[in-house]
Amino acid sequence: MIAPLIAFSLVGLLIFYVQTLVLFPYVHLRLLALLLFYVGLRPSLSLTLALGLVLGCLQDSYATTPQGLHWGASLVLVAMARFSRRRLLLQQLGFQALASLVALAWQEVYLQLVTFMLGYQPLFSHDLTRVHGMEILGTAALGPLMHLLVQGVDDALRRLGWRPRSEPMPYQPFGE
Amino acid sequence: MHPQGRYRTPLLLVLTLLLVFTVLSLSLKRSPALRKVQGLVVAMTAPGLEGLSYVGRSAKQLWLGYFYLVGVRRQNAELQRQLEEYKQRGVHFEEAEQALTRLEGLLDLKRQVALPVIGARVIAYDPTLWSSSAIINQGKAQGVKEGLPVLAPQGIVGRIVEVYPEYSKVMLIVDRKSSADAMVQRTRVRGMLKGKGGNRGSLEFVPKSADVQVGDLVLASGLVGLYPKGLVFGKVTAANKKNPGVFQEIEVTPSVDLSALEEVLVVKVATLTLSEP
Repeated sequence: MIAPLIAFSLVGLLIFYVQTLVLFPYVHLRLLALLLFYVGLRPSLSLTLALGLVLGCLQDSYATTPQGLHWGASLVLVAMARFSRRRLLLQQLGFQALASLVALAWQEVYLQLVTFMLGYQPLFSHDLTRVHGMEILGTAALGPLMHLLVQGVDDALRRLGWRPRSEPMPYQPFGE
Repeated sequence: MHPQGRYRTPLLLVLTLLLVFTVLSLSLKRSPALRKVQGLVVAMTAPGLEGLSYVGRSAKQLWLGYFYLVGVRRQNAELQRQLEEYKQRGVHFEEAEQALTRLEGLLDLKRQVALPVIGARVIAYDPTLWSSSAIINQGKAQGVKEGLPVLAPQGIVGRIVEVYPEYSKVMLIVDRKSSADAMVQRTRVRGMLKGKGGNRGSLEFVPKSADVQVGDLVLASGLVGLYPKGLVFGKVTAANKKNPGVFQEIEVTPSVDLSALEEVLVVKVATLTLSEP
């Protein structure tokens, strides 16, 4: 689990850098959440949870919101990804993007509720919800690209010799 | 399924949930251990941001100062080599002049504030919409402390909320948790300036009988002692008396472009106040 965790954490850090240095303040997208969702569609739950903690910690460290807010939001995404993976048997990119949209919407509900309870903002204020809605739609639209990125990282890890524990070793003819 | 395997997933989820809620509650109590974790994360990731930011600036300068001029030379063959050199110098001078103007502004502010200050460079922002904060490249080692005000030549930026060994976190005045005592310059009406997210704030608890108009300057009152008195928060961009209740709805836009900060000043003594301009 360590190798993919390090690889996906580095990808997350790179995305965070791009968001901070290039996209901010003109484009707001939840790319780290999308990354976590697509990693959550892979078999390993422990990898997804660990990645959720790493990415949540990274976001919490740069924000003024209490530590743990983004961790909780990561958990919501992990739960949604696992649910989608088990119940809906996602195979097509379109369905995956749709499932990511639903997951991001649930994450938004969680964040709105928690920030409301902590006294950060009113619940579902009109202007904020509109901006966040656009952000979620834009993020979900990038789903296929994120799928390719996660797939690419996976392939790169396999080329480097890493193989998930659940996956059988490749067939080797007897006697070789 | 093996009994251990059956309980593995729910156990993992319960443990993670417990961890998250424990951390959340510790964070609300401002636990020093969590601050250390945050400091560690910032210390590990901020140098990368700082480095990339530097590379980006250098690449931009190189583009403006060299590649762009090469393109111009190709398109304009009649231009002499000397002229190109002058242009290159011009670009460098322009860049230097802009930096000089910014630094002069900071120096003026330093003189105006008449308090010990530390110059700092903004290296990162919180890219999410849930809070408005920035990371600066001065920390505990340079004498930065929590609660110190942060200023730019155009006005108030925010205050220090977390200090790490080499970096600090600044809560911008538009953050939803930010509030400060403020007054309208023209009529001396006081109110509480609260952050509203995005790039706006609101002046609250101002009675409807008070005279506040669009375009009025909103200054720090200095009464709570957090921000030096007389420094500019921003301008009134909307004032509504038709809302229900006894107070007006006043929207304030900061005088500083809080999403494009480069150099800022950290005032080292938070409790002193400025003499009124």
